[in-house]
Amino acid sequence: MKVLLDSHRCQGHARCAAFAPETFVFDDDGFSRVREGMEDVKPENAPGVRKACANCPELAISIIED
Amino acid sequence: MKSIKDIERTMDFHGEALDNIFETYRLMRENCPVGRSEKYGGFWFLSKSEDIFKVEQDADTYSVKPTMLVPPVADFPMIPIDTDLPELMDYRRILLPLFTPQALAKMEKPVRDIAQDLAREFADSGTTDATAGFARALPTIFFSRLAGFPEKDWPKFDAWVDDILYERTLDPERAKKAQDAVMAYFDDLIEKYRGRTIDEADTGTIMDYLLEAKIKGEPLSRQELLSYCYLMFLGGLDTTAWAIRASLWHLAQDLDAQRKLRENPDLIPMAAEEILRTLSPVQAMGRTCKKDTVIRGQEIKAGDRVVLLFGAGNRDPDIYDEPEKIKIDREDNRHLAFGAGHHRCLGSNLGRRELVIGLEEFLKVVPEFTLGDPSEKWYGVGRLTLNFKK
Repeated sequence: MKVLLDSHRCQGHARCAAFAPETFVFDDDGFSRVREGMEDVKPENAPGVRKACANCPELAISIIED
Repeated sequence: MKSIKDIERTMDFHGEALDNIFETYRLMRENCPVGRSEKYGGFWFLSKSEDIFKVEQDADTYSVKPTMLVPPVADFPMIPIDTDLPELMDYRRILLPLFTPQALAKMEKPVRDIAQDLAREFADSGTTDATAGFARALPTIFFSRLAGFPEKDWPKFDAWVDDILYERTLDPERAKKAQDAVMAYFDDLIEKYRGRTIDEADTGTIMDYLLEAKIKGEPLSRQELLSYCYLMFLGGLDTTAWAIRASLWHLAQDLDAQRKLRENPDLIPMAAEEILRTLSPVQAMGRTCKKDTVIRGQEIKAGDRVVLLFGAGNRDPDIYDEPEKIKIDREDNRHLAFGAGHHRCLGSNLGRRELVIGLEEFLKVVPEFTLGDPSEKWYGVGRLTLNFKK
């Protein structure tokens, strides 16, 4: 499973930080991106990443299943 | 019985209209999801979640000018919420660094310390009003410190907020008086900051950030500073107090949920999102259509006002199972309590943390509580009487 974040859609709600803090990282203005090397989601992080995707108000996160 | 047409024509989301608002929202969603109200100069209103998100994210078609608030709470544009892109982002960037997840991590302890003290004091004292004793007190103390509003001034704040936000539909003159008083207050406070004749100066407060800020090399003008301070004042105090009060109001009636959250505090963040969804402190915000458009077959003309009913979208059955039910363990909760798009509430992450930490500390200290006065409303920041064993 892969995770993508559309930085044009992100508005800094930081819901992804609540569900998958290991996968997302924030710039100094609070906008999110996928942490380097975390685009391929490890099985143990998958449930949190799915929740981050479902709860993102801007639909900025997408998941590509294997 | 009012007809659907009458309900649509008189659609309102302030004061007593909130008493039965969730039934009103349901009728509007089912019968006229793009409705037309004659209130406040006339406006279209949207009650479906999908439509509201779309408008929030479409800055090409919709402007926030002259103001996002319906009816207005100021006779000047408020910064940043009453500005459009690209100026909007210039203004937001001044304070965005204060509300990132990294910045918020540093606020955990101070918020918790205040919440703990207030909860203990509330539990020990003979008072029963959880609004004054806790829901309003927590943001007043924490946010005022963060903003750099001096402690000696705090006792004046509640009445100003009440008059500006809650009296404006009943007694506009009184609201205007309070607005002028708040502007005069900040005019004076800015002067004190500039002259460094105040202890709070240079301590990294919101006031400091605003005074130090430069946009394209220029500091903010006096009017810009006043406008930004005014918005921070309203946004930082009232909404968080509403969210905490509404949570306690709900938990006082849902003892099963109260017990679950006490036994398993890890559920509190999820419960907080659910309260934000169902009892949202901001029920609606407005836009102005910039060019002719169509929503769900309804033509909207350039210049028309469009109100986004967040509270209605948040209970949309197309999005949520059992939308009217407050389920503290609801997992997927993509709600509109803080809006979306470029105007997403700047302080949303702080508001969330204050709510979560506030509930954690309150439930730790105050034993099982019930509603002391069932006539008290679900909305606003009025009295909330709680009964519990001392």
